[in-house]
Amino acid sequence: MEDSSLKLNNINKKIGKFELKNIFLEVLSGEYFVILGPTGAGKTVLLEIIAGIKSPDTGEIFLGRKNITHLPPEKRKIGFVYQDYLLFPHLNVKENIIFGLKNNGFKIKQINDRLEQMAELLKIKKLINRSVNDLSGGEKQRIALARALIMEPEILLLDEPLSALDPSTKEVLQNELKVLSKNTTTIFIHVTHDFEEALYLGTRVGVVMNGELLQTGTPEEIFTHPNTSDLAHFVGAENIYESEIICKNNKKYIKLGMILMRVNSDLTGKIGFSIRPEYILISLIPHGENSLPGKVLEVLNRGLFVKVIIDIGDRLVALVPAREEVINTLTVGSTVYCFIPPEAINVFPL
Amino acid sequence: MGTKIFKIVNISITFVILIFIISTLGTVLIKGFPGIFSSIKSPELLFAIKLSLETSVISTLACLVVSIPIAYTLSRYNLKGTNIIITLLRIPLTLPPIVSGVSLLLLFGTTSFGDFLSKLGLSFIFNIKGIIIAQFFVNLPSMITILKAAIEGVDIRLEYVARTLGFSPLKAFCKVTLPIIRNNILAALILTWSKALGEFGAVLMLAGAIRFKTETLPMAIYLNMSVGDLDAVMVSSSILIIISIISLSVFELADIELYK
Repeated sequence: MEDSSLKLNNINKKIGKFELKNIFLEVLSGEYFVILGPTGAGKTVLLEIIAGIKSPDTGEIFLGRKNITHLPPEKRKIGFVYQDYLLFPHLNVKENIIFGLKNNGFKIKQINDRLEQMAELLKIKKLINRSVNDLSGGEKQRIALARALIMEPEILLLDEPLSALDPSTKEVLQNELKVLSKNTTTIFIHVTHDFEEALYLGTRVGVVMNGELLQTGTPEEIFTHPNTSDLAHFVGAENIYESEIICKNNKKYIKLGMILMRVNSDLTGKIGFSIRPEYILISLIPHGENSLPGKVLEVLNRGLFVKVIIDIGDRLVALVPAREEVINTLTVGSTVYCFIPPEAINVFPL
Repeated sequence: MGTKIFKIVNISITFVILIFIISTLGTVLIKGFPGIFSSIKSPELLFAIKLSLETSVISTLACLVVSIPIAYTLSRYNLKGTNIIITLLRIPLTLPPIVSGVSLLLLFGTTSFGDFLSKLGLSFIFNIKGIIIAQFFVNLPSMITILKAAIEGVDIRLEYVARTLGFSPLKAFCKVTLPIIRNNILAALILTWSKALGEFGAVLMLAGAIRFKTETLPMAIYLNMSVGDLDAVMVSSSILIIISIISLSVFELADIELYK
């Protein structure tokens, strides 16, 4: 079988003061890869380099075994869908979708067959003869997807494709993207700043911050084991500290507040560690090992959850389900015990 | 000043100026318009109309052909010193046309570059080619300005999308950007053409005012005025006024339908 994976080999690109640095990445055929990162991190530039719209200052890009670093966009077989759709305003829906096929010498029958297939797949049959200026955001995004997918690209690049849509349209389209990716061998590379979107769609996620690809892994890995404090902060691990690994009886500990907490880690010396607020169990009695006493500073209702700020010598944030009995026991000034299992403590090198 | 008085003063000034313009042009049209049909058989007027149309169409098309790549360069490429290039290209726009004409005359008439062109059969002095080059030189900056603004108004990512759909840069520009700015192009063509039709100063300096040779409509006005033939002046002026009004109307209409 032909290998159609995408490989980025040490990509660097400087644009003004911004710099994309040392990007190494491999995305396999059929994968739905999400590039996650805050605004201005360099996600779009990275996509434009993959598409051939911008060329890297150094580094190489391979599609399968073929080096495509210097190929122009029109020869790469890579589709691109932008956040703001960018449909051609002078063409109607049908003309937009078949725009690429018409230019590439396809016969009318082939064009019509593929158009019908796309219309079916993306549920846009009724829109075919409409003007693109009268469509809703969701409809426009479907047309933009159809226009790219009809070319049967090896890679489909999606630049924040759902961020301009209302929540319900976003959910529907999110599901459809997942189905679409499962039904083709096309590599989907989806850029977003929305962690939930990444968690739902990505078979793997890469986090880009300040022009660097900090970590790649399954969404769960990124979620539970971020490897820097910036990344931990970005994925919502609100408790981020620094300490030193202490070895005792072949077990490893870190210091949190005044207490030694057991951790599972191969690291030694100075380290950073993060704890997700929802992994902390709060009780009124001590829980044995890894149980920290603390004083409740604040109790904030967050709908289904209650956010509890606790003074353990340091500031600790916990998220507990908003059940009545929990809320009643958590009053400001009361003493509680925070149990943090060793596997909930994510240790990373500094 | 109270709101009401402020409003009345503004509107009054507007209408006074409006009346001033209408009465100025109206005076010429009232006297010249009836004579258009009787004078249309005059060989001199026919020659002037024909020469004006020919030279203005050629110079306008030449402006278009050159302006598109220049406007694209200025709006799409981050060249160093783009602002300086824009300023230099705009000089003929602010220069009195007569100075443009003198400059062209000196370039083609007194330099070895002019001699070289002349040896190639490209002489621009006191002939029709001179009319065309003078109109071209004076009108090019406004054409570039309109097209530059139009191209800047089209999101370059539309061309990027076309590239990912298999289009070369040229094809992406021709199939995406050009059709989107077609109304701007139409407006630029009409504006440039009507300005070329009325170009006087630069043409007079470079091509001269020679009856039945370089006699465009503005030259016909100038020549007839100098011999006191006011009827002929009115007719030529009326024709130019009517063309201006039509051009301006088409320009405004084209603007309304610009893609947003």
